Amino acid sequence: MTGTILRRLLSMLPVMGIVAICVFLLLHLAPGDPASIIAGENATPENIARIRTQLGLDQPVWKQFLVWLVALVQGDLGTSMFWGDPVSSLIAQRAEPTVSLAITTLLVAVFLAISIGVLAAAKAGSWIDRLVMGFAVLGFSVPVFVVGYVLIFVFAINLKWLPVQGYSPIADGLVLWLRNLVLPSIALGMAYVALIARITRTTMLDVLAEDYMRTARAKGVATRSMLFRHALKNAAVPIATIIGNGIALLIGGVVITETVFNIPGIGRLVVDAIARRDYPIIQGVIMVFSGVYVLVNLLVDLSYTLFDPRVRG
Amino acid sequence: MKTTRRTIMRTGMAAAGAAAAPGILTAQTRPPASRTIRAVMHGDIPTYDPIWTTANMSAYHGAMVYDQLFGVDDKLQPKPQMVSKYGVSDDQLTWTFELRDGLKFSDGSSVTAADAAASIRRWAVRSGTGQLMLQRLKDISTKDDKTFVVSLKERFPLLLDGFSSPSTPVLFVMRKKEAETDPMQKIDTIIGSGPFVMNQAETRAGSQYIYDKNPNYNPRNEPPSASAGGKVVKVDRVIFQNMPDSQTAVAALQAGEIDFYEIPPIDLLDQIQTDRNINLINLADLGTVGYIGLNWLHPPFDNKLLRQSLLYIVNQEEMMKPTFVDRKWYAACGGWMTCGSPMENDANTGWFKGGPNLAKAGELMKAGGYDGRPVVVLQATNIPYMMNAATVFAQQLRAAGYNVQLAPMDWANVVQRRANKGAPDQGGWNVFFTSSGGLSNANPYMIGGMATTGDKGWFGWPSDAKNEELRTKWINAPTLAERQAVGRELQENAWDIVPHMYYGQWRQPAAHRKNVTGWLKVPEAIPLWNVSKT
Amino acid sequence: MRIARFSRRNPTIVLGAMILVVVVLVALAAPWITGDPVLLIPADRLLPPGAKYWLGTDHLGRDIYARTVHGARISLLVGVTVAALSVIIGLGIGLAAGYWRRVDAIVMRFMDGLMAIPAILLAIALVSLNKASVSIVIIAITIPEIPRVVRLVRSVVLTVREMPYIEAAVSGGSRGQKIVLRHILPSTIAPLIVQATYITASAILIEAGLSFLGAGVPPEIPTWGNMIAQSRLFVARAPWTVFAPGTALAMVILAVNLVGDGLRDFLDVRLARRM
Repeated sequence: MTGTILRRLLSMLPVMGIVAICVFLLLHLAPGDPASIIAGENATPENIARIRTQLGLDQPVWKQFLVWLVALVQGDLGTSMFWGDPVSSLIAQRAEPTVSLAITTLLVAVFLAISIGVLAAAKAGSWIDRLVMGFAVLGFSVPVFVVGYVLIFVFAINLKWLPVQGYSPIADGLVLWLRNLVLPSIALGMAYVALIARITRTTMLDVLAEDYMRTARAKGVATRSMLFRHALKNAAVPIATIIGNGIALLIGGVVITETVFNIPGIGRLVVDAIARRDYPIIQGVIMVFSGVYVLVNLLVDLSYTLFDPRVRG
Repeated sequence: MKTTRRTIMRTGMAAAGAAAAPGILTAQTRPPASRTIRAVMHGDIPTYDPIWTTANMSAYHGAMVYDQLFGVDDKLQPKPQMVSKYGVSDDQLTWTFELRDGLKFSDGSSVTAADAAASIRRWAVRSGTGQLMLQRLKDISTKDDKTFVVSLKERFPLLLDGFSSPSTPVLFVMRKKEAETDPMQKIDTIIGSGPFVMNQAETRAGSQYIYDKNPNYNPRNEPPSASAGGKVVKVDRVIFQNMPDSQTAVAALQAGEIDFYEIPPIDLLDQIQTDRNINLINLADLGTVGYIGLNWLHPPFDNKLLRQSLLYIVNQEEMMKPTFVDRKWYAACGGWMTCGSPMENDANTGWFKGGPNLAKAGELMKAGGYDGRPVVVLQATNIPYMMNAATVFAQQLRAAGYNVQLAPMDWANVVQRRANKGAPDQGGWNVFFTSSGGLSNANPYMIGGMATTGDKGWFGWPSDAKNEELRTKWINAPTLAERQAVGRELQENAWDIVPHMYYGQWRQPAAHRKNVTGWLKVPEAIPLWNVSKT
Repeated sequence: MRIARFSRRNPTIVLGAMILVVVVLVALAAPWITGDPVLLIPADRLLPPGAKYWLGTDHLGRDIYARTVHGARISLLVGVTVAALSVIIGLGIGLAAGYWRRVDAIVMRFMDGLMAIPAILLAIALVSLNKASVSIVIIAITIPEIPRVVRLVRSVVLTVREMPYIEAAVSGGSRGQKIVLRHILPSTIAPLIVQATYITASAILIEAGLSFLGAGVPPEIPTWGNMIAQSRLFVARAPWTVFAPGTALAMVILAVNLVGDGLRDFLDVRLARRM
């Protein structure tokens, strides 16, 4: 088991290496000039050129790449071209809101999705099933930012139940923290709910149709405990897979959700950085996001062995 | 980049924050909400050195933590701020300045004449007015701790205008140690003698910038007037929050989560005006000017007649309306320098008064030999007013018979592409859109676009000897009346050669909660002193 | 008779397909049934739906009806092209990777790497690589989809390879190429069709997200995504600016998903849904 984990961890390295190369080339071959933006509108072309030299942007791309790579290998993500702060500390500052949002979203989504998925499967074919699944598909069909604005409009501006925007650190109190995360989690969780609920339902139906379930039913095991004990356990593998794959969806959604709700997280950091071509931040954040993605999927793979002993072989 | 002590400390703190007891940092001494102002400005602070960059947000930051030798009053006249007494010799060549007592930097050290002299030198290298001063400068010397002398080789009537100007880069006074940094090198240390001190431990770059009241600041004993007079701070803390989504910012203002929003979209003003808790306020009388850059190096607009044809095509009204909605907030302006400024005049504005005239434009296009080649217009898609103006511009030119290609891209891309001198089909361009402060634009040397120095000049690279002659004449004109007369000549010539054009002028109202009062009007800056909260 | 029975058994496919057919017809007929989607009349900005403008006008005074109908063309074009491109490219790579072991290791590491980069960030970066254009947006959305298709195809190949009839073919002396084309390719088609519908839906949504972040299709070209994104300031004041493109978007995605779900059940594809 330990060996497997170690081997998998090692196999992350080439993946991350490919990410690093792709990301760097993509950014540095793209047009856009951070120096002009730093310099401001009244700056002369000469001043802009000087700033470019100072930032090392006049160096050949391969040289810039080597410098960045050498630093990266030593665990140094570089410093922001704009504020001069180390990228790692900027990311550390922004990690808490993003991680909080991801976790609450995941919890909301998984809880809701599995409940309605199981419900729909149990009542397969009935109007409840149709209604629930219709809702799930609809949730998947509306862009996150539209859901976000509607939620703000209804719950924050009209009903004044919850704050419009912002983030309150956990250190300032759990209630405040939660209040700020409710709307963003729902907005972001919508698509996720839809995805997982559908998977849960179909997997459940499949499992219910399997011979051993028929047998279980024939033997007269109570419906509810049957559903949860047998079926859900078997449905766990595909659901876990979806969660693993969904991390990409979640990360994409985080970028938009943080903009709508003004959450000072990593997503906002990188969107702002892209608009200004603050290369070290963009590169650093993509590396971190990719690392998280790879790690989560590793964990998901390992969890298969937990849910489904057959995979071990 | 170098690792400074500050960055190490901040990294350490971030690590501590992430560790088990994150409460320590935030629990320090956070002022109550009633003593804190949360403001959302028009953008993010790109860098903390307001001399190194001309970005307005860096000047906003500068106005918080640094002080100026001179400020301007509400009539834009220079008035001493850090200076107590000053005088000029009869030949107008020797200026003597004395600093007032009790000026202290946030590190506790006193502000000396040497700090001021070094700050002037560093600023002068980066500022348009400063460079004019340097050409005439003999020497800046210090007489004693409080007195410094600026000696000139020839008269420079704009000296105090330059020292007091709120247009970027602003002459902020830094410690000699920082001010002696190469003007092309960025300063990372933030030590000023201004009314606020930046709280770097709690500041989160890109998200919130925190300024605490400077307990050692000694304001002038006069009522405040723009950036002149006493800068009395009436709250404990000011937070600049970066909120790029305007919909969210307006909602946050309505919910009372922020106190001030500099740029509420005009389309949301209805929504704001019905809110009993919010006031709209106009903080910049001269407003902002929309600037259309034309490329003089490549056809079609290397041709004077074709540039002139644009005068008869462009309809500012239509370019303004989509973004600024009501004439209350925008105006069409036929002047070459900001309308409403002392330099406004009507020389050579027949094209403007007559309104668009496609027949006339057609004649000019024919005479100029327009051959149907594409006009490449750079369109910044992430800045709504520029995006809208470019969209309308394209339609107007097409109606006149130009073959327009909109090249949509984000602003970061525009600023790079407009520096490309190549042909439009090889990565260059014909037209781009930007904007500049009404005050800067009320003056033929403050922004690069007014110069016509060809290849070496600003983007568009217009070249015209007469305009350069007149600009020099303007600088040396000793009185306002004479400057105004030269201003007419400048404009007469400008609308003949058409170095660039405008898509209108607008005054963006700011919005604030009604319980937060005392806002001062300073062009191109938002002062947070004198603002109180009840 | 058969059609009637098919419809009765698969109501979702039929409903979804009917919606899609209508949308496609409307999109094709766009130039004949609407005015100019680009023409702007600033004086007529933000007019509510009425006789002159059936669905009202946007903030630049453009006809929302014309833009929504024309938007269908671009949004569908983006969705369908992304799906087609990613399926074709992904199929090629996936077949090669699944069948030839040597290719497999390298290709799959590369795909893992590509998959690990957040799709939306990759797309934003790619869009700023060039001036915004429909083709760049299509490429930007396609690239992150490819590894998902590759994985799907590869897993099908790996399953099929072990089937007795393939072994029989190999021992019968068939060449690799022939085996892949004749025996393996057909088994990938069903899951790919299902996968393609989902990609179509998500491509249309991602385009909307990119427009929201200012990295989408050029603003002059109407797509539902950038119509919603550009009008988001006016939601409260002029809800019709968002309503028309929003409804169209939700309806089409719903339809595509219905067809996808229906096909999946109908074709009994087990692998597709696991991706």
